[in-house]
Amino acid sequence: MPEFSLTAEQESLRDLARKFARTEMAPKAAECDKSARFPEEIYRKAWELGLMNLNVPTEYGGSGLGALDQCLIVEELAYACGGMTTSIIANCLALEPILLGGSPAQKSRWLTPFCSEYHLASFCLTEPGGGSDAAGLKTRARKDSEEYVLSGEKCFITNGPHASLFTVFATLDPSLRSKGVAAFIVPGDAPGIVRGKDEDKMGHRASSTSTIRLEEVRVSRDQRLGGEHDGFSIAMRTLDQTRTPIGALATGIAQAALDLAARYSLERKTFGKPISEHQAIQIKLANMVQAVRAARLLTWHAAWTIDRGQPGTLESSIAKCYASDAALRVADEAIQIFGGYGYMRDYPVEKLMRDAKLTQIYEGSNEIQRIVTARELLRQYG
Amino acid sequence: MEIVVLIKPVPESETRLRASPDGRRLDSEGVRFVLAGYDESAVEQALLLKENVPGSKVHAISFGPARCGEALRAAIALGADAATWIEAPPEGSDDPILAARALASALSSIPYDLLLGGKHAGDDEEGIVVGAVAELLGIPSFGSVTDVRPAGPSGLAFQRPTEAGIESWETSLPCAIGLQQAWNDPRTAKLPNILRSRKAPIAKVDWPTVAKALGSESSPRSLSEEFRLPAPRSGAKMIEFQTPEEAAEKLVRLLREEAKVFP
Ligand SMILES: Cc1cc2nc3c(=O)[nH]c(=O)nc-3n(C[C@H](O)[C@H](O)[C@H](O)COP(=O)(O)OP(=O)(O)OC[C@H]3O[C@@H](n4cnc5c(N)ncnc54)[C@H](O)[C@@H]3O)c2cc1C
Repeated sequence: MPEFSLTAEQESLRDLARKFARTEMAPKAAECDKSARFPEEIYRKAWELGLMNLNVPTEYGGSGLGALDQCLIVEELAYACGGMTTSIIANCLALEPILLGGSPAQKSRWLTPFCSEYHLASFCLTEPGGGSDAAGLKTRARKDSEEYVLSGEKCFITNGPHASLFTVFATLDPSLRSKGVAAFIVPGDAPGIVRGKDEDKMGHRASSTSTIRLEEVRVSRDQRLGGEHDGFSIAMRTLDQTRTPIGALATGIAQAALDLAARYSLERKTFGKPISEHQAIQIKLANMVQAVRAARLLTWHAAWTIDRGQPGTLESSIAKCYASDAALRVADEAIQIFGGYGYMRDYPVEKLMRDAKLTQIYEGSNEIQRIVTARELLRQYG
Repeated sequence: MEIVVLIKPVPESETRLRASPDGRRLDSEGVRFVLAGYDESAVEQALLLKENVPGSKVHAISFGPARCGEALRAAIALGADAATWIEAPPEGSDDPILAARALASALSSIPYDLLLGGKHAGDDEEGIVVGAVAELLGIPSFGSVTDVRPAGPSGLAFQRPTEAGIESWETSLPCAIGLQQAWNDPRTAKLPNILRSRKAPIAKVDWPTVAKALGSESSPRSLSEEFRLPAPRSGAKMIEFQTPEEAAEKLVRLLREEAKVFP
């Protein structure tokens, strides 16, 4: 029988995240959204409480949590603000390549000092020429005796303006496609790193995103993760780990939209009764709660699969794709239930729709998730 | 300073309360019990004193059913050095005098200079236990205290807000304090400390041992007979109006005719 109850430990982790989300993040969510402010004080506090480097083992100074524990935390954070959550969990994404591809010496050299203080890291895969086709990336790694020289441009890089560590994917030979890609650790102060302006985004405005240009950035051989041909596999295995928390992030946004809409429906009266008594609104709420619950269960299931040591490629693709579609749909319906007020920036629901939208795009767009899902599915038949 | 904090797990504030099937108490099924309210402040105050008086230790103690473990772990995650659960009998864990006797009995073998508790528990708000434990131990006790600070080589200074003004007190040790507020807001436990607290040992004194020590005093003085939720409040009435005069007129009429506030 499946077991859906959480352990006391999981409950207390969730309590911590909930308390942090509601007391520190939620009160500043609207302000940071409006002014696109990057609330460093909140991120610093998240680090102090151990809510930042969730996936890094404790021996390197992280929190050492499994996938399900991470998801419980991420959902709570996202309930308060999707954008802040994106910036808080970007370290997990950026450090995962080191966890997967790094030698023990590389891990202690790079992770231990990084985790012992407040630092942000960025994962640099996407390029202006295309994100979905990661094997076709253009950033070059040129070998120069004991060093590599990296040149090219990365775009849409979360925490790019603030990161003190980058994991960068670059190709030694574009004609080899995925086999030509290698992964590198690049310190934020490496000569030749040029950070672009903070992008003006539709949502997740408390997070910051920029291009990162690499102008002849020199890295030593021991900054390469795995072998010269392992970069693409490291990137894909990283996303296998981090997609599921995006499902949790989307679920948190969806739950927030549902809660706001359900409460509002009990208060708002039309035609002499609360709109919650109109069946059209009830049907919306029913569809919304179905979507939220399904999103959460698919996310938990994917996390459970990964915690059992399986790759969980199919499960995490399904969870990320379903939960993000659900979040956008539920946020959309929440706006509909709020009527004209829902469209106003002074009410919190329209932000949820803008924030939900990103979850369909990043960490592998939902079109790509469906490609992956179908491929994994058909493999079981072929 | 050996600081003992007395804590009582209370239902999480978002819990939907209902009566147990026998109608005699709160149904604890599915309810999460947590460290909350003034007890959380008492733990904060204990930790602040520990940080300010070198060599101090904080020992959290809770009398009640097994759920005490969760509140004690929360105290450990915040920084308590040790925790002891004193098991209550199946009937009578709500009785404040039995709780005080059990706690006082346990304190005969636990070192203490200062006993700290919330000024009252977050659920029943009785505020009896800390004073009763102090009485049984023959030490002074103070209620509704704020801002406890070390004073002199072996004393404490604290304040008590009253209607008339703020009283400043000093006391020698040992003593007991029912706390209203520490000088900081309660801190939040960090994630690694929460994980560590899950594995921390919690000493247990089982009920038969407590009962034996209490002898003829081991039966509760009071038992809960009935537990009822308050009747739901009737809804608010919104007054619709065009002008302030009309609003005032309608309000006065409602106060007179429906609420019967005026004759
Ligand atoms: C706010 C934000 C933060 C981000 N953070 C990071 C980060 O930290 N690090 C990082 O590396 N990247 C990051 N990204 C990039 C993100 O992962 C990419 O935007 C995403 O992978 C899509 O790539 P693209 O934008 O180049 O779109 P494209 O790849 O150009 O795709 C355009 C459209 O075509 C669809 N499409 C593409 N290929 C196919 C196909 N074969 N079949 C069907 N449809 C297809 C896509 O789904 C999409 O709808 C971020 C993006 C945003 C917006």
